[in-house]
Amino acid sequence: MAATAKTKQQVEDMSGDYKYGFSTDVDMDMAPKGLSEDVIRFISAKKDEPSWMLDWRLKAYRAWLKMEEPNWAKLNYPKIDYNDIYFYAAPKSQNKPKSLDEVDPEILRMYEKLGIPLREQEVLAGVEGAAKVAVDAVFDSVSVATTFREELSKAGVIFMSISEAVKEYPDLVKKYLGTVVPQRDNYFAALNCAVYTDGTFVYIPKGVRCPMELSTYFRINTENTGQFERTLIIAEEGSYVSYLEGCTAPMRDENQLHAAVVELITLENAEIKYSTVQNWYPGDKDGKGGIYNFVTKRALLKGDNSKVSWTQVETGSAVTWKYPSCILAGDNSVGEFYSVAVTNNYQQADTGTKMIHMGKNTSSTIISKGISAGKSHNTYRGLVKVLSGADNVRNYTQCDSLLVSSTSGAHTVPYIEVRNPSAQIEHEATTSKISDDQLFYCRARGLDEEEAVAMIVNGFCKEVMQHLPMEFAVEAQKLLGISLEGSVG
Amino acid sequence: MNEQVISGYKSQSLGLHGTIPGADQLREKAFSNFEAQGFPTKKSEDWRYSDMRQFHKQAYGLVDHAAKPELPDMLGETAARFVFINGRYSEDLSDLGDLWQAISIRPLANHFMSNEYRVNELITGTDAVSCLNTAMLRDGLVLSVPAGVEIDDPIEIVHVMSDASNQAAHVRHVVELGEYAAVSVIERFIGDDSAYWTNSVLQARVTEGAKLRHIRVQEDGANAVHTAKSYINLDGGSEYICTNVALGGKMSRFDAEVRILVDGAKAIVNGVALAGSGQSHDMHVHISHIAPHSSSDQVFRTVADSHGKTSFQGKITVAKDAQRTLADQSFKALIFDKTAEANAKPELEILADDVKCSHGATVGQLDDKAIFYLTSRGIDPETARQMLVAAFTAEALEKIEFDDIKEALSGRIATWMLTRTATPKA
Repeated sequence: MAATAKTKQQVEDMSGDYKYGFSTDVDMDMAPKGLSEDVIRFISAKKDEPSWMLDWRLKAYRAWLKMEEPNWAKLNYPKIDYNDIYFYAAPKSQNKPKSLDEVDPEILRMYEKLGIPLREQEVLAGVEGAAKVAVDAVFDSVSVATTFREELSKAGVIFMSISEAVKEYPDLVKKYLGTVVPQRDNYFAALNCAVYTDGTFVYIPKGVRCPMELSTYFRINTENTGQFERTLIIAEEGSYVSYLEGCTAPMRDENQLHAAVVELITLENAEIKYSTVQNWYPGDKDGKGGIYNFVTKRALLKGDNSKVSWTQVETGSAVTWKYPSCILAGDNSVGEFYSVAVTNNYQQADTGTKMIHMGKNTSSTIISKGISAGKSHNTYRGLVKVLSGADNVRNYTQCDSLLVSSTSGAHTVPYIEVRNPSAQIEHEATTSKISDDQLFYCRARGLDEEEAVAMIVNGFCKEVMQHLPMEFAVEAQKLLGISLEGSVG
Repeated sequence: MNEQVISGYKSQSLGLHGTIPGADQLREKAFSNFEAQGFPTKKSEDWRYSDMRQFHKQAYGLVDHAAKPELPDMLGETAARFVFINGRYSEDLSDLGDLWQAISIRPLANHFMSNEYRVNELITGTDAVSCLNTAMLRDGLVLSVPAGVEIDDPIEIVHVMSDASNQAAHVRHVVELGEYAAVSVIERFIGDDSAYWTNSVLQARVTEGAKLRHIRVQEDGANAVHTAKSYINLDGGSEYICTNVALGGKMSRFDAEVRILVDGAKAIVNGVALAGSGQSHDMHVHISHIAPHSSSDQVFRTVADSHGKTSFQGKITVAKDAQRTLADQSFKALIFDKTAEANAKPELEILADDVKCSHGATVGQLDDKAIFYLTSRGIDPETARQMLVAAFTAEALEKIEFDDIKEALSGRIATWMLTRTATPKA
């Protein structure tokens, strides 16, 4: 027996009716269409960048020209015409806003419609005692508002847009930018290096536990604008930060390209927790439109005893190409990857992780849950690699797929490469539909079928959802569109 | 790709024209397919774990002499034995027993003499190595078991390579099982120290309710390169049980391409690979569930000693209409030291929703606790390790239905363990 009609409906609703599909009228400042050295110079000049940054971009661009678009992923999409894309679009404002009051009210209203409390007093819908969340709002390509800066700066935390950081902390940026994801790392990363317009820069000084969870809401606006964020997070010795990334995008007919790069660096005893809820426009029921999402996310666990934890809930985008990875270089470092990916209609997701074990006693955990509905394809692709010098490595991988329709596909492509005998590598994967036994068991205990299915699907994702920060877990649950009745959190 | 290599094979292939009735066109087609793609490289996804460099350097010649090497003992009780020396069928050395009364067994050339059109039933293959096998079509057996006939004892096909440095044997066997027929085929590969290449393909059509047991024992010489492919097509309710044991050669590669075409068939593909110093064993299985209510199972156990490498790529695909598929896959690898390597890529590709598919993979060393347990009971560590490896590999040999053959293979594994150089620290 297949999943109930209601569950199917709920899963379909997730991407079928995109309630965040509206666009905001704001004057845009644009670069000419297409990509060339001139466009890169334009972007760099617009952002008033130092010359080293421009050189860095041009070097990446020249490398990109010689590279080929990868085609190994299980993804089918029309060829991207890079000359038909605006690589830079910024809200027109002559002066940088000094406070939230100066931010274009249109933008503020848009965030309000999305239920994102940008204003400080609205943090988490005014729940008393709730953790404070700092929001660095990215509206298309330029950060328009940054909150909580004061409180953060008291703690010594640097949390700003990366274009500001390039000017204010050039030494820090120079030291770390491109060290985890180099310019010629891959096709989309090189493109990002050349044309990235903005993003987030976070620096947590030695021994500091970031006083609040940092959050950036990305939003893509303006037709035909690719958005190329660049995020760089550095956690100094003994520091801790939890970073939230969430996204929604207005409904548009034409495909929009998105190629982000995220670099995380942890030094000794540091920890970064990086959580993502990705809910960009997935295209309509016939597979028309939707975001193309090509993301390179990688963490370098440079110091001993450091830890990076990636948690992602992927429900949006027409095409997702994303492999948040960990290079476990420091001894005793720990990498984690928790992922829920839901695809529906004609969505395609090829996502997973890479755990490269270089240091001794390093360990990694991979939990991936894929749910496929409609005519979608959902692929887990991962690599666990143990180099010969990495003694006593431990890895546990579990990737489960749940099929909700007979027209969808679920694929698992894990790679395991081990060169050290003391490694203990375990990999498990299953693909199934909701089992009749489980349904029967629940129903025998008085639950109706829908409740039972909801409960089973909840349980299926629970291992991942519980790793999300509270603020996100709620949103993620909504996105999963399953009536939860408070059983998962 | 190296022009000289291509033209070398081209003239070899042309030189074979006229040897097998009706096959010339097939060879040409296969050759142009081979030429179009060339030998795989490390960048070819399906060959990422195999070093193909020797294939790019020079063309392996076709062996032209028939040596008279010594034949190995039979693995166990067999119904008949067929011998191929340097890729050519040797009637003198073969022993048909009284098999000829029950089934038809003919060399390739004889088979197509009376029905030339059936050449088109030969599978050309899509990858370069299989295409080259087809382009070099020269010898092999066609084994046809009539409906309802069950042969109890296995049929042994021994491939011996001797004094064949830089030369290759491309052998093709065809197995056809009538409805509810059953047969067991053992393929053995042995050879001397010369740097030869064995490139073997076995294709089988297992019709309704029939059962094919297939055991492959690869004990090629230390400098040999071994590539092999099995193309198996399964009809309704049929069964295919394969056990592949890779021991010899410098580099070996086995590909099983199993297609379940009609409801209710069952495929089991198991394997053991032991890689000593400088050896690389690469095993690929692709089980494709096209029809519903079918099941498949894979159990692979590999051991890599110092400077040895074992790789496994197993893929299960379930087509849209193949509902109620049950598919399982288990891969476990042991590596003995830091110079050893184990790679795995267990892949699932599923397009139907009412299925149950799973895979598990582990890589590690022998369990210290288990060794401690055995040594605390007075067993010396060396023996303890041998016992554990025997138990570890036994799971993959379980589906061999002939006790004497299973024992012979366990014996091979035990002998291999005795000659290990690496001594893992407890």
